[in-house]
Amino acid sequence: MARGLSRAQLGITDEMIATFGETIFQMSNNLQVREGDPIRTLNWAEIERQREGMGLADAQISERIGLSREQVMFIRNHEESRRFRTGQQAYLLDLGGGRRFRPERVIPLAERFKFSESALRLRAALRFDPLLVREYIRHGWWRDDTLHGWISRHVKERPDAPALMQGDRVISYRGLADQVSRLAEGLRQAGVARGEVVTVQLPNTIEFAVAYLAICRLGAVLCTLHMPYRGAELEALLAHSRAVAAIGLADTKDWSPARTYLALKSRIPTLQVIVAVGTPVEGTLSLNALIEHSPPLDARYPAPLASDPFLLLYTSGTTSAPKGVPHPYHTMLSNAWVGAPEHRVTANDRILSAAPFTHLYGLYSLHVAWAVGAATVLLPAFTPGDLAVTIERDRPTGLWCGPPHAAAMRAQGLFDKHDLSSLTLAILSGSACPPELVRWLQAKTPQCAVTQLWGMTETQGALYSRPGDALDVAATSAGRASPGTEIRIADADDRALPSGEEGELQVRGCLVFPGFYDNEAANRTAFTANGWYRSGDLASMDDAGNVTITGRSKDIINRGGVKFNPREIEDLLDAHPVILQSAIIPMSDPVLGERACCFVMLRPGVAMITLAEIVAYLAAQNIAKIKLPERLVIVPEMPLTPTRKIIKGRLVIPA
Amino acid sequence: MRHPSEGFPADPIAAKQAIFDYCKKRGALAVGVADLAALERIAPPGHRPTDLMPRVKSVISLGVGGQTQGAWQLPAKAMAYSGSTEVRGYTVAYGCAFFIEQKFGAPSVYVPPDIDPESGPRVPLQSLKLHAEIAGIGARSFAGDILLHPQFGFMYYASVFTELELPPDQPMAENPCPAPSCVSMYRSIGRTPCMKFCPAQCLSGEIDDAGKQKSSRYDMAACAELTQEYEAVPKILAEAVRDENRSHGADRLLDPDSKMLWYKVSAGSGGWFAQCFECMRVCPIATQAPQADPILRTEEARSAAANKP
Repeated sequence: MARGLSRAQLGITDEMIATFGETIFQMSNNLQVREGDPIRTLNWAEIERQREGMGLADAQISERIGLSREQVMFIRNHEESRRFRTGQQAYLLDLGGGRRFRPERVIPLAERFKFSESALRLRAALRFDPLLVREYIRHGWWRDDTLHGWISRHVKERPDAPALMQGDRVISYRGLADQVSRLAEGLRQAGVARGEVVTVQLPNTIEFAVAYLAICRLGAVLCTLHMPYRGAELEALLAHSRAVAAIGLADTKDWSPARTYLALKSRIPTLQVIVAVGTPVEGTLSLNALIEHSPPLDARYPAPLASDPFLLLYTSGTTSAPKGVPHPYHTMLSNAWVGAPEHRVTANDRILSAAPFTHLYGLYSLHVAWAVGAATVLLPAFTPGDLAVTIERDRPTGLWCGPPHAAAMRAQGLFDKHDLSSLTLAILSGSACPPELVRWLQAKTPQCAVTQLWGMTETQGALYSRPGDALDVAATSAGRASPGTEIRIADADDRALPSGEEGELQVRGCLVFPGFYDNEAANRTAFTANGWYRSGDLASMDDAGNVTITGRSKDIINRGGVKFNPREIEDLLDAHPVILQSAIIPMSDPVLGERACCFVMLRPGVAMITLAEIVAYLAAQNIAKIKLPERLVIVPEMPLTPTRKIIKGRLVIPA
Repeated sequence: MRHPSEGFPADPIAAKQAIFDYCKKRGALAVGVADLAALERIAPPGHRPTDLMPRVKSVISLGVGGQTQGAWQLPAKAMAYSGSTEVRGYTVAYGCAFFIEQKFGAPSVYVPPDIDPESGPRVPLQSLKLHAEIAGIGARSFAGDILLHPQFGFMYYASVFTELELPPDQPMAENPCPAPSCVSMYRSIGRTPCMKFCPAQCLSGEIDDAGKQKSSRYDMAACAELTQEYEAVPKILAEAVRDENRSHGADRLLDPDSKMLWYKVSAGSGGWFAQCFECMRVCPIATQAPQADPILRTEEARSAAANKP
C-alpha cells in the first residue's frame, strides 16, 4: 500500500480489485517464464521479447493498464495477500528439523482441514475449570488416551487376541483394526469429517463396535440413539446434535430405522449420509459394503486427540431442549483405565454387557475392555434366556447388567439351568438395586464378585463397590468413589453434609462432563459455583465413603434402566381433546424397577377415557413403546401449587 | 575525494585488478564488472543502476561462498541456510566501496540488498543477481533462476556502484546448468533433480537436444509462499494492519504459526531459515562444483604453506 494513502484516497473499489486483480497478479513477477538463455550472448531482441515473462514492475504495469502506480501496488498487494495467506510455515516446522521435504506431504493451504461451524460449536462446549484440569493432569488421570490409540496398542501387543465375540463370529484386534480402518475410509469418502457428529442406533453387535471405532478414528463424534426411539425422538436428537450421518438397521421386525432417517433427511439440513446395516435400502450406504469395498484409511490421516470430543450422549429428555452430554476422551477414558484395575479386569478377561451400548453404562464395558485389551462378548438383544446361553457358551468373566436383567433371569430360574461359573465379576447398575437381589446373586455365583455401580451419562462410573468388599457393602450401597472422583452429599444450599445424613449426591472429578451441549438453561443449574455436578439423586454416605442411593429428586422414570422424562408425554396428553390436565409419575415394579403411571383430569362433561385409548393416541404420535403409560388413574382434581403447577409428590397411586 | 571533473586513474585495467585483489583477499571467490548499458537496458524502470546512483559508471559484482559440504549433506533445513554467510559478501562490498573511494577518489556505494519497501517483499531495489550475471560470475539455473558458477557452485552476491569507469566483463559463455547428470535424469524422467524435489513444485522446464536450457518456468509466488519465510513477515503485518477488524488482526499476529515466526525472527533462536534450499541441496553444481567445497578451495594455499621451507 502506498504509505499514508487510504483506500479511498487511492480511489480503490472492490469492483476495481475484482476487475484488475487477476491481470495485475499475472503481470507482476509471480511467475517467471524464460526461453533459452539469451543472456549468454546478450541477444537483445530475445531478451526484450521475453522481458514480460520475467514479470513487470508496478510502474510498468501501471503504464500498460492505465492505473496509477499506487493503485497497481495496492491491488497487487491485496491479491498476493488474498492468494497467499502465508501460514505454510507450519509445514516447514512439520517437515523441518531433521527431515527432508517431500512434495506429497505438503497439503496446499486451501486444502488444509477446517472444522465445520457445528463441529466448532461442539468443541466449544468442552469448557472445564482450568484449576481442576491442572490437577487431573498432575495426578496422571488425564493423559493422551484415545480409543484409536488403545486399539493400535493392542494390535501391536496382542494382534491375534480376540477383541469381539458374537456367536461364532470372533474378531481379533488385528481384524478389528482392519475393519475399522476400512469403514473409516468409507465414512470419510461419504463426507464424515473430524468433529462431525454421527448417530448410531444399533444393537450390541460387531457392527456397533466397528462403527464406534471408525467414527473415533476419523476424529468424529459418536451420538447413540436408543433402540426404541422412533420418528419424534429421532428427529429431535438428530436436529439438536447436528448430525451429518446416521447409522442404523435397515429393518427391524416392525419398522425401518434407515427409511425413517431418509424421511427425516429433508427436515434436518445437516444430515447428509445414511448408513444401513442389513438388507440394502435405496438412498443409503451399506455398512457392510463400506467395510468390504473401502480401502484402509490413509495411515497419515490425523489421529484424534485426547482433548477432542468423541461422545455426545443424550440424557433421558427429548423435550424441546434435549440435554446433550458431550465428552472428550479425557473424561471417559481416564475413568475407564483407572476403573479396570479397580474392577480387577485384565487382558485375559472376557466382558459381556447385557446393557445396550446406546447407554453409557454399556459403553463403559467397552471402554474398560479396550483399556486393557480384553475381549468383548456380544449379546445383540437381551432376553433372559439368550443371556444365560451366551454366558454358558462364550464363558465371559465379567458381566455388566442391570438389576432388571438379573431379576428376570432369577424369575425364570436360569441360574440353576445354565453353567454360569465363568463369571468372576458382575456389576449391577442402571437402576435402583434391591439388596436382596445382590445377596441372592452372590449366593448363586459364589466364585463371582457381585458389585454395584452408580453412574450417569454425565459421569460414567463415579461410584462402585469393588471385588473383595463385604457383601453388606455390595448389597446396600453403590460403593465408593472411583479414582479421580470426588463425591459429597450436600444440602439444598450446596453445603456438604456429614456422614449418614441424606442429601443430594454431588460429583466432581476427572470423569465429569463439562456441561450440557447447547443448553445454557440446564447448565446454569447443573453445577455448583465450585464445580460440583448436582446429580439430582438423593443419597447418604457412610464413614468409609460408601454411598447408598435413597431416591431421586428428579422426575425421570427409570423403566428397566431406560430413563425418560415424561414431560413430552404429558404435553401430548394435555393436548388430547378430553383431557384437561395430566401428570405421569413412576410406579414401582419388581422387575423393571419403575413403570409409568398416568394421572389425568378430564374436561368437564367427559365421562371416561381408557388406558387403551390413551396408548393408541400416543402410539399414533410416534412415541416409543417404553414411554407409554402402563396404568391410568383418573382424578377429579390435580394437586396444584399457587402457580398452578402440579405437585407430583401428592399424587398417590391407588393400591 | 576528487571531483569527477578532475578525472580518475588513467589505467582502468590496473584499477580493476586492484579492486579484484582487494575483494578476493577479503573473501570473495569471484569478482566481475557488469556492463552498465546492459543493466540499464534489462532492469525495469525504478530498478536501474542510475535510478539509485545517477552518475554510476561501473557496477562491480562479487560472490562469496555459500554452504559448506556438511551443510548441504545435512537433512535439516535449518542448516541449509547457514546464516550470515551472505553478510560476508555485503561486508566485502561495503569495504570495497570505501577502498575505491580512498584509493581512487571515486564516489562509490555498497548496493543495499534490500527489497523495495514500496514494491512488496519480492521486488529488490536492485537485482544483485542481474549484476552478477552480466558481470559473468554466475548463470541462471533451472532452480528458480538461482545463479550457479561452474567453479564455485552456489554463491551469495553483493554489488558496488562506483563512478570509477572500469572495463566491463561479459556474461559467462557457457551456463553450467544443466549439469550432465541432470540432463541424463531429464532424459529419463522428464525432470531434473531440482524440479523433482521442489516441495512447492514450482520449477519446470525443458532441455534441448544439445543439453542446454530450452525453457524454464519458475512460480515464484508458490516458492515464496511455502518456503521463504521472509515473505511471511511483511505479509502477516500487512494483513494485520489492513484488517478492519482489529481483533481478527491481532489473532492473525498471534496465531501459532506467526508466533513461531516472531520467535525465529528474534535473536532468541538464531536459526531463522529463510529458504528451503531443496533445489540447491540436490543440485550437482551447487554441491559438487570443483571449488564448491571450502576445503578444496583452500588446498592450494595450504599446499603452498606446507611446502614453505
